[in-house]
Amino acid sequence: MNRRIIQILFYIIPLPVILASLFIGPSHTATPGAIMDLFLKTSDDSNLIKSIVFDVRLPRILLSFLVGGSLAISGCSVQAIFRNPLTDSYILGLSSGAAFGAALALAYSFLPVQLSAFIFGLLAVSLSYFTARKNKNVSIVSLILSGIIVSGIFTALLTIVQFFSDPFKLQSIVHWTMGNLHNANWEKLRSSVIPITVGVFVIFVYRWRLNVLALGDDEAKTVGINPERDKIIILIAATLASSSAVAVAGIIGLYGLLVPHMIRMVTGPDNQQSIPLNFLFGGTFLLIIDDFSRTISSFEIPIGVFTMLLGAPFFIYLMKKTNIGWNN
Amino acid sequence: MSITKTICYCLLFSYTTAFISCRQSVSNTPKSSSTVNVTDFRGVEITLPKPAKRIICLIESALSGIYMLQAENQIIGISSGVYNKSTFAQYAVLDERIKNKTLPAPGNWDFVNIESIVALQPDLVIIWASQTESIESIEKHGIPVYGVLLKSVNDIYKEIHDFGIMTGKSQRADSLISYSRNEISQLRSTIKIAEIEKKNIYFMWTQGLLETAGTTSTVNELIEFAGAKNSCRTSKEHVVINKERLLDWNPDIIVMWYDPLKSPDDIVKLSEIQHIKAIKYKQVYELPSVFLCDLWTLKFPYAIKQLAKWCYPTSTEGLNMDTEKQKMLVKLYGEKGEKLIK
Amino acid sequence: MEQLSNAITVSNLSFSYNGSVILNDLNIDIKPGKLTFIMGQNGSGKSTFLKVIAGLLVSHKGVITILGNDSDSLSFTDRSKLTGYLNQQHKAIFPFSVEDVVLTGRAGFIRYVPKEADKTASVNAMRKAGVLHLRNRYYTELSGGEQQMVMIARLLAQNPQILLLDEPTTHLDISNQSHVLSLLKQLVSEGMTIVAVMHDPNLAFLYGDDFLFMKNRKIIRADESMQAWDTDFLKTIYEGNIQAIPFNGRALLIPYLN
Repeated sequence: MNRRIIQILFYIIPLPVILASLFIGPSHTATPGAIMDLFLKTSDDSNLIKSIVFDVRLPRILLSFLVGGSLAISGCSVQAIFRNPLTDSYILGLSSGAAFGAALALAYSFLPVQLSAFIFGLLAVSLSYFTARKNKNVSIVSLILSGIIVSGIFTALLTIVQFFSDPFKLQSIVHWTMGNLHNANWEKLRSSVIPITVGVFVIFVYRWRLNVLALGDDEAKTVGINPERDKIIILIAATLASSSAVAVAGIIGLYGLLVPHMIRMVTGPDNQQSIPLNFLFGGTFLLIIDDFSRTISSFEIPIGVFTMLLGAPFFIYLMKKTNIGWNN
Repeated sequence: MSITKTICYCLLFSYTTAFISCRQSVSNTPKSSSTVNVTDFRGVEITLPKPAKRIICLIESALSGIYMLQAENQIIGISSGVYNKSTFAQYAVLDERIKNKTLPAPGNWDFVNIESIVALQPDLVIIWASQTESIESIEKHGIPVYGVLLKSVNDIYKEIHDFGIMTGKSQRADSLISYSRNEISQLRSTIKIAEIEKKNIYFMWTQGLLETAGTTSTVNELIEFAGAKNSCRTSKEHVVINKERLLDWNPDIIVMWYDPLKSPDDIVKLSEIQHIKAIKYKQVYELPSVFLCDLWTLKFPYAIKQLAKWCYPTSTEGLNMDTEKQKMLVKLYGEKGEKLIK
Repeated sequence: MEQLSNAITVSNLSFSYNGSVILNDLNIDIKPGKLTFIMGQNGSGKSTFLKVIAGLLVSHKGVITILGNDSDSLSFTDRSKLTGYLNQQHKAIFPFSVEDVVLTGRAGFIRYVPKEADKTASVNAMRKAGVLHLRNRYYTELSGGEQQMVMIARLLAQNPQILLLDEPTTHLDISNQSHVLSLLKQLVSEGMTIVAVMHDPNLAFLYGDDFLFMKNRKIIRADESMQAWDTDFLKTIYEGNIQAIPFNGRALLIPYLN
């Protein structure tokens, strides 16, 4: 079956893409040939190339992969628990909260930028959640609404910060909000790898339960699942993973919405199959997009721009060609 | 060798003095026409019936130019940025009204309160040329607007020259311009470097390690005046580069724009760029305070000297940055410059 | 386990929703191993009663005992072993396959990921409910009746001791109605207790063992002096002109013109 083959391909492809990405970059010194020499140890004087491959490219590759994977996996889980294929953690206010946190830190430097982005991202999502919560119940519509409201509040606050910033700081804020994988280094990778792994692992463990939750609260309760508790656990895990991703890489627009749909076209909505693929393909796809953005010009184009410009047409193509994955 | 050098300096100094006094005598001749005419950076001709006496200046670098012209009494409004920025202390020394926060601030670098501007009844508003909407609204009230756009050192000269005319301080403007020109040519004659020996400078903005200035920037001019070469060859003003490019370029020196949060030590510690010459030989420097090194004012020769000193320590041995600073402040700001030194 | 005299005992149950009283001081017991139908007029609170028993509506007054357990102290998992619930209608968002939907019935037995035994159980459940041929179809693309059958298969996969069904035959055509009701009879004969809200009293009278009626926010049974299908009794439940016509020892209920 065609789908099976694609599915197997998705499992195999990350490793070769990661390896190939080591050879891709704008450097004129670290050419693929020179890197081959490095690996085959035929050249001695390769400190610079070594440094480019292992200190610049490798952390960026791994960070892109982790960020892409965590955005996709948390997008998929949030869509399942809120029974809404049009949600991702960004729509619950994560991105605007994180952007505000980052801007605040950039303008007033009271906290490290990543930490501040993380805290405010988490704060925004919990605000959306508790605003929408009524009688121990969170309805889909009220959650989306409160997400829009919370996003609006944080966007307004962001504007205030921008308004009082001088041009230098404003530029930093704008660059941050456009996504900034170019600043990747081992330190960023280290700071994000634990929260992302924890979040991704929890979602992975709950992958089949997402199916039960996706059928609705009553249907989950009567077969022995506490939807309230499970949803909170999954929401915390998804927010942890995606806000850590946002904290180190800035806002990468629509990615958490896009990838789960692409995966669903291959696996169907069964989260037991789609969750691991979301992580693997989400990571690989962002890495490929970043490979483009690293080679296409001599200066850096924000990754967020690329995910939109490359991802959106691809998504539209798939949407027209296949069954998008939900009805009505 | 040092004797030749001293002679050289003496000659240059006497030449400079002669040049300045000559220029002064030229501009001393009284103007016959009473109206004032200049063309701003938008190409718009501005005619004032008489030199402006009520000026609102919403650009910090331009404001410092007006203080250099000693026309501060003609200023009635400034950018609110002056009150919030790190340069506040220096402006407080230059102007009692700023120190006491009594000088109105009807806007900042990108937001303008038209109502406040009109209420102040200015006879001239100085503003960035890119703020087209604000300019349009101000001009609708019949207030002349001078739009500024600085892309090169020559633009700074033009700006100060025009300010001189508009404030009736042409004489001082021209003397300051020739002072700056001289400072630069003097320095250039000191450091004559063969093309291949030119130091490769990577300039780093406050926004981060990878944010630099391309070839069409004031920074690029600064680097070239200092006899060095800009690592970044992209013809853009502000560029975000890829880290591996930086490793490829392998600059001799990294120059940081003033950053209250980061010091050169922080850059030297970055593990991924350890193989760059600038890091290996600890050639990472940070420009001193923004007020001293403002590249968009006549203070830029100071920054050039500082760069030259870092690049070519032997040929600039005679240059003492402390003395240079004092000389510059007194020259540009007059008596108040003395206070600024403290 | 000793044979309990009642599968479900409800004492002094009251329930209000948004300020209006829906169930008022209700006392009833439901016998084990029987097919019990609850009937009554539209909006009389039949579905609410079932939801309260299923544990879906909390903050009620009174005591509900399910197979000897106090309903309020049951965890979701424990309850899922005792009672299963079929919603009147279920709206699916994602196009899960029928097999995936039925498998979710096993959630009470599955810690995180289903095992082979769970898959076998759901295949058996689909076979028993007669939907095995649909196993690879998208649940969202099925007709209302087929979806109902799939949800019944999901209940069979769950395999609780009591089934609470809210109008299990609503979306079904007549042959499927008889198929479902026969299935329910079979389950009861295998020892299951089934409580079903029925819209249609005729189907109830044809298949049921015990009949409950919702009236004035309470549930009542026909007392010993008369049968549930006596016209006089039914007239106290349903307003309007109705007539019971004897059929097969019981009766069919028809409306008639004056």
